[in-house]
Amino acid sequence: MPGAELMDRPAAGAEARPAARNHPGLLVLTAVVLLLSVFFGIAFSRNSTQPEAGVAPDFEVTTFAGETLRLSDLRGQVVVLNFWASWCGPCRVEAPVLQAVHERWRERGVTVMGIAYIDVDRHSLAFIEEFGLTYPNAPDRGNRVSDRYNIQGVPETFVIDQQGDIAHFFYAAVNQTALEKVLAQLLPGDE
Amino acid sequence: MKWILPALVLSLLTLPALAQPPSDDEVNEVAARLYCPVCENVPLDDCETAACRQWKAEIRHQLDAGQSPRAIIDDFVARFGQQVVGTPTDPTLRALALVTPWALALGALLPGALLLRRWARQRKAASPLQDAPEAQDAQDDYRARVEADLRARR
Repeated sequence: MPGAELMDRPAAGAEARPAARNHPGLLVLTAVVLLLSVFFGIAFSRNSTQPEAGVAPDFEVTTFAGETLRLSDLRGQVVVLNFWASWCGPCRVEAPVLQAVHERWRERGVTVMGIAYIDVDRHSLAFIEEFGLTYPNAPDRGNRVSDRYNIQGVPETFVIDQQGDIAHFFYAAVNQTALEKVLAQLLPGDE
Repeated sequence: MKWILPALVLSLLTLPALAQPPSDDEVNEVAARLYCPVCENVPLDDCETAACRQWKAEIRHQLDAGQSPRAIIDDFVARFGQQVVGTPTDPTLRALALVTPWALALGALLPGALLLRRWARQRKAASPLQDAPEAQDAQDDYRARVEADLRARR
């Protein structure tokens, strides 16, 4: 039957149409998935928190004294990595604590390291001088270190063990007793 | 020629007095192009946190030292990262950041509109007689007959 043949044949040009035009629902679905991916990608990247365990992100900084320091070079030592700023009130409270810990523990294999977070260099230097800080301190150029540690504010302090893993995280100003308790656990018999 | 030396001395003495420190407006003009480092989406000129006050003091210090607003912003980006300006300073990244949301929105709306049009066409094709005047007449005729039958039964 010629009529049936005609009816079974697809309309002229329908095959030539791109799939997307024949299935706009597919396009909408793709666009929605893309939009959701972007939305959740941004949301997750903003909500990412500071690492509290696992390998401490490595970094290299040049201290205010001009010395280059790389975290991975300090393997075998316990590192107290402190993020601070001269404009931060609690940082003024903990600076003498960190200096005391540095003086008391450096011979036992503890390195205290300060990273100035979104701070103006001359104010950082004035802060270092005011509190007589002798442990290494470095500006965080381009926020590279604080981005790797997802710093949300200051002060924040990470205690990194001899294997380069994060052993403890202090969200606010460190307390000498609490910090020394962590150090004593990492260096048994050295207290 | 006698007046040259006194004039030179006088100008050297008065120049520092003429050099005005940057005004608040000049500082705020630069600050308005930067964002608070500790708050979210707050322009630096609107922010009064300790960190912002320190940054504004730094802007004033750099303006006083003769730096241009562009140089100051570039220095802040180099020291504190791209987030201080809200948008990337790299032209390609900036273009991508500005165009991508619009492209995604368009990408979602355009197929959506096509889909709606397609659905509307399919509905129309499914009931081709519904809108035709003959169909309407036939419906009216049928209704009249039903109503007449109902009246006859009463």
